Amino acid sequence: MSDRVAGDGASSKGAPPVLEMRGVTKRFGAVTANDGVSLTLGRGEILGLLGENGAGKSTLMKILYGLYTPDEGEVFLDGERVEIRDPKDAVSRGIGMVHQHFTLIPPLTVAENIVLGAEPRKGLSLNLEEAVRATEELSERYGLKVDPRSRVADLSVGVRQRVEILKALYRNVRILVLDEPTAVLTPQETEDLFAVLKELVADGLSIILITHKLGELLGVSDEITIIRDGRVVDTVDAADTDEGELARLMVGREVLLRVEKEEVETPGGVRLAAENLTVRSSTGALAVKGVDLEVRGGEILGMAGVDGNGQTELAEALAGTRPVEGGRVFLDGADATNLGADARQERGLAYVPEDRGTKGLVQDFALYENNALKTYDEPPFSKWGWIFPKVMRRRAAEALRAYDVRPADPEARAGSLSGGNQQKAVLARELSGDPGVIIAAQPTRGVDVGAIEFIHGQLLKQRAEGKAILLISLELEEVRSLSDRILVMYAGRIVGEVGPEATDEQLGLLMAGRGVEEKSA
Amino acid sequence: MSEGRREQEGRDPLLRRILTGAAGALLFPLLAILLSFAIGAVIVLATGNNPVAAYVALFNGALGDPSAVGRTLLNATPLIFTGLAVAVAFRAGLFNIGGEGQLFIGAVTAAWLGVSLGFLGPLAIPVVLAACVITGFLWGSVPGMLKAYFGAHEVITTIMLNFVAINFAYYLAQNPLRQEGPIPGTETVDLAARIPAISFALGRANYGFFVALLAAVAVYLLLWRTRRGFEIRAVGLSPGAANYAGMRLGLNTILALAIGGSLAGLGGGVEVLGTYGNMDVPFVANLGFNGIGVALLGRNHPAGVVLGALLFGGLYAGAQEMQFATDVPLQLATVLLAIILLLVTATKLVEFIVGKRARALASGAGTRLERGLGS
Repeated sequence: MSDRVAGDGASSKGAPPVLEMRGVTKRFGAVTANDGVSLTLGRGEILGLLGENGAGKSTLMKILYGLYTPDEGEVFLDGERVEIRDPKDAVSRGIGMVHQHFTLIPPLTVAENIVLGAEPRKGLSLNLEEAVRATEELSERYGLKVDPRSRVADLSVGVRQRVEILKALYRNVRILVLDEPTAVLTPQETEDLFAVLKELVADGLSIILITHKLGELLGVSDEITIIRDGRVVDTVDAADTDEGELARLMVGREVLLRVEKEEVETPGGVRLAAENLTVRSSTGALAVKGVDLEVRGGEILGMAGVDGNGQTELAEALAGTRPVEGGRVFLDGADATNLGADARQERGLAYVPEDRGTKGLVQDFALYENNALKTYDEPPFSKWGWIFPKVMRRRAAEALRAYDVRPADPEARAGSLSGGNQQKAVLARELSGDPGVIIAAQPTRGVDVGAIEFIHGQLLKQRAEGKAILLISLELEEVRSLSDRILVMYAGRIVGEVGPEATDEQLGLLMAGRGVEEKSA
Repeated sequence: MSEGRREQEGRDPLLRRILTGAAGALLFPLLAILLSFAIGAVIVLATGNNPVAAYVALFNGALGDPSAVGRTLLNATPLIFTGLAVAVAFRAGLFNIGGEGQLFIGAVTAAWLGVSLGFLGPLAIPVVLAACVITGFLWGSVPGMLKAYFGAHEVITTIMLNFVAINFAYYLAQNPLRQEGPIPGTETVDLAARIPAISFALGRANYGFFVALLAAVAVYLLLWRTRRGFEIRAVGLSPGAANYAGMRLGLNTILALAIGGSLAGLGGGVEVLGTYGNMDVPFVANLGFNGIGVALLGRNHPAGVVLGALLFGGLYAGAQEMQFATDVPLQLATVLLAIILLLVTATKLVEFIVGKRARALASGAGTRLERGLGS
């Protein structure tokens, strides 16, 4: 049971690997998402699947889960060739997947969610006691602590993820695929998750862990398969590699993992400030509960915190796209609380929203239209109610080239670009107006390493020019390496301020709402 | 970046642009039309008629001689207006089912003012049509405001307001505006204040058709050359991004539906001043609803709407001829139109029939359509 073997070790011993994908190719029109990809997952092994966004990780896993049919290539389970028709088929063959976005039904209880679709019955009705019992048994067996009777809506993200895993285990999976599972977790929760995963593989389960975070894979996986541009670049033993090598394999060139940050002389005056700001979320709940902050010129103020603790609402309220419930917002000393988003933009506020898909860009607009999304009503783009697409195109072509957006074609549809290039297009629009204040919410989410380097460089350049920058990010490393000061947000409040030298431990405790002691300055 | 690479990057989008552009947009509806004619041929065969003879008669009835062309233009004119009414709203992400009622509001406005301002002669025409635009605009803004301020879904409200508009128009036509004599309806507008016919050969086809073409051009300019159009399209494609950019969602919702209403209202005015001279009870039905089909077929683009309306108009004109020449009933035209619309909207079905390539070529607009229908 506990004979942990490396992938190729399994075949040499005679027992076929749990999963083997051989020469899998998948094309979408002219795009080849997977090009002859092969990977092997041994029993009781954790395989890290590493690649930039758009490298083809998700496509490969969707093939495994029966959502796509491969154009070429074969899939073997326990040495037997299979064709996985749909997710139901995948589940019946013992393949489970925990998606990045959870698929739980919030008003139902944990037990109800876990048995959903495979409910134990008593006559015609649901046997709830049996569901609770099964959940308790699983939860005990794998050390995944949950209360079967609590409502999912009341649970934290970390616990919801446990429910997702239990849901897969309830269906007797042998292969568990986790897609970017740590994106929503604090460092401590991540450690807890990895402890659980190790327990699961000790019990004979095999796990594929998809991520673009280099560090975590080293700690938990046995082998790491790196995918770039739809091809397998290499499969390495986690014990014999390091972050530098993984980054190089993933991107295809040397990457600066550390950001070079110049010292800027003492920061200037306060350019963006919030005073006792309260904001409601779209559901009507108070998401921001009395936040004070000040961002000075020439400074990057980092905002760390686990997703969903009010950072989004705070950013939107500061940018003027969400109404303020109470408190005030100041731009360069003037009260801007009652100004709309466009008025704040005209006063030099740039806002890179966290969600470029549904906020930052109109996906079905051409790049030139997106580039003018905020300034379409100002000269030279507009006069007397008319707009001038030609001028928009010309300006967009310049901005796209300056920010290295590929393709730098003003006519290209925004939605056809990769995540990194979409984000660069947003930056091109937001930064080319020479703003004084920049709010950057998760500017590198879902962006490849190369683009991250570029975006970080741009933010630092703006800082050197004396701009005031509020950087909201879930990536601790990013907050630490760019910020001059770091605020931590938890449950709608600022729970602490630390310097960029703060450890994971310190930040993690603050992010979890513990040790809520204001650091004496 | 090397020259060669830039060239390569430039070429691909260009090719795609052309394919998803005019040619691609036309290809898909054309395939649907051809397919539906094939299916229609089977139906004709099943009724014991010769499909070739039937289709020859259909063609002759639609385009065979000047008077046939005139009938086609006459049929197409109101459908251009109501198709545009749907298309403008659709660009803002709204489904305007209220074209029927909006057209009635415009028609009763024209019937009333056309008679009372008839003494102005030809000068009355622009005044009356402007009034139709205004009443249609106001009527169309009602569901817009219900949506913007109270969140009432525009599909429900526009459908319901159709009944209100139609019955209100009939009430006016039968009471304050009622003409002398046994036939229920309004008085007839003086000939001098009516939109003149284009030429004797084309029959009743009148200059209203050119008003419709002008309206289509205006809609094109509005959507792609003005700030308002930029906002309407941004709101329609991505409310989140529009809000982020500081655009007012509510205002654009109201305006898009109101502009749609003004177009349908203008269509009603043109029907009265150009074709009928008054508003009978019952008045011509289903122009508003057929406008939805026209907009779908035309992919919510003004040029597409004009082509779609001509197809609708031609099929209805041709079906009459077909009924005379063969035993194929008039309803075949409706059946053909229904099949065309089914195929245009059910893109998956065509994909199944002609393979995925055609769909890939025509993707651009098709997916947007589905999204709109799904919402």
